Amino acid sequence: MTAVLTMARQELVALRRERLPLVLLIVFVVMVSVSSLIGWLTNTTVSNVWQKTVQAGLTQAPNPFADVSPLYYARNTVIYLVLIGALMAIVVGVTSTMRDRKARTIDLVLSRPIRVPAYLLGKLAGIGAWLAMILAAVAVISWASISIIASGPLAAGDSLRLAGFYAVAWVLLLAFVALGMLSGIYASRETTALLVPISIWSIVAFVLPQIGTSANPVSLLNPVPSVKIPGGAFDTLNTVVSPLSVTEQFKTASGLIMANPEVTGSLAPSLFVIVLAFAVGAIALLATKRDRIRGALRD
Amino acid sequence: MADVAIHTSGLSKSYGDTVALRNLDLTIHSGEIFGLLGHNGAGKTTAVNLLTTLLEPSSGSMQVAGVDTAADPNGVRRVIGYLPENVQFYDNLTTMENLRFFARLSGLSKPDARIGEVLEYLDFTGHDDQRVGSFSKGMRQRVGIAQAILHTPSVLFLDEPTSGLDPEGVRQLRDVIVALNRDLGMTIFMNTHLLSEVTKTCTSIGILRQGELAYQASLAATLEAFPGEDSLEEIYLNIRSAPAS
Repeated sequence: MTAVLTMARQELVALRRERLPLVLLIVFVVMVSVSSLIGWLTNTTVSNVWQKTVQAGLTQAPNPFADVSPLYYARNTVIYLVLIGALMAIVVGVTSTMRDRKARTIDLVLSRPIRVPAYLLGKLAGIGAWLAMILAAVAVISWASISIIASGPLAAGDSLRLAGFYAVAWVLLLAFVALGMLSGIYASRETTALLVPISIWSIVAFVLPQIGTSANPVSLLNPVPSVKIPGGAFDTLNTVVSPLSVTEQFKTASGLIMANPEVTGSLAPSLFVIVLAFAVGAIALLATKRDRIRGALRD
Repeated sequence: MADVAIHTSGLSKSYGDTVALRNLDLTIHSGEIFGLLGHNGAGKTTAVNLLTTLLEPSSGSMQVAGVDTAADPNGVRRVIGYLPENVQFYDNLTTMENLRFFARLSGLSKPDARIGEVLEYLDFTGHDDQRVGSFSKGMRQRVGIAQAILHTPSVLFLDEPTSGLDPEGVRQLRDVIVALNRDLGMTIFMNTHLLSEVTKTCTSIGILRQGELAYQASLAATLEAFPGEDSLEEIYLNIRSAPAS
């Protein structure tokens, strides 16, 4: 346990000093912070247009933002987490395991009484604590900005939903951290170590959801919702690949947690896929052999 | 402390078809400064990596400070210090941050006082808050020695410790090695190819030739056994070129 804590503490010290994670962190915090502002600007613009349209007697429809939940303003955060947050998690994960291989400090570490699972678990725990601090700070910023925009503090129920959303986001980012760490261990070159998990991320975040869309090609051409043909080849393919897109599952889970009326379905399957992705990554990481993490780089 | 500091029996290590170390039978007594000699690729670093538990042997057994490396590798790691060739640290961390980390890994819960003592012993004070990335090779080597002795190990492994140092750095490091052995009673196992350093530092030597131990004796006995040779260099070349028995 002491070795795990020592590694976690060291990881926090190292993260404080490294530039790339710091730059990504700043971009991430700024983007998440402005997401409420973007939501507010959308609301204001649409409401103004609606008001002018009503005044011109062109519509009698109610303001589409009239009954919108204050959590609407945090919806953009979901996208930033999937894009910048996941990328940041991968970079931090790769850097973490690559650092000791690159500097050959791994031999100094492994000549100490520490087992490989404790070494890797400590690193993961340190990054987990770092991400938890960041997400907690972002959650507070988000809560405060929504409260300012909504002209009053967020209700307890909505505050809990926001906290739940960030908790799920933490698990998702840890899954990408584990992916990055594994790549940092197994890659023979530093560039490959970054390219492989980023490629996997882009497949998960962009390609797999597109396969689902291709299953209903009419949706790309026509604003009218497509009609699914159950049992067809595309439908079967969609059923198989859609759970693999952990980022899409995160979007679904976030929508359900933040009571987005456009998202329907059950929360449990999406949460299960996110937790499973993290568990698989963590188990693969902890099963790493001693010789593997001493592997020399070819750069 | 056990009288025998290091004992290996039939120790071998292969990488595929390549045999790096073959049937190494070695006994080093406590308090010795042992110099393992050999040309590049003779198996010196493999021997140190095995003894420090960084590698697992293909066959054979070894005990360090009386602890079996296969049965209790963490037990061995508790009683050894290790300085690899061209030691590296976390360059963007300070001396203190680096040493704190390695001290904690070695089981020291509040290491600052001990780090201060060690740095003073090594005459390396005033660099606590400097980042290691800005250090010269000689300064890094001092920090390397510091991390290796923080937990007062009984056996210290040094892999080519004077490699890349200037003559002043070599002399200072030699003084440190001798002092550690004299003041703290540490057994020192040193890989080197600098025979002049062995003459000035070691109490016993071993010579590796193509992964096999070709010779082992005390330095005094070695010099006595080859009365016709002027220097250890000639003795070494003599033993190296002798046909394998």
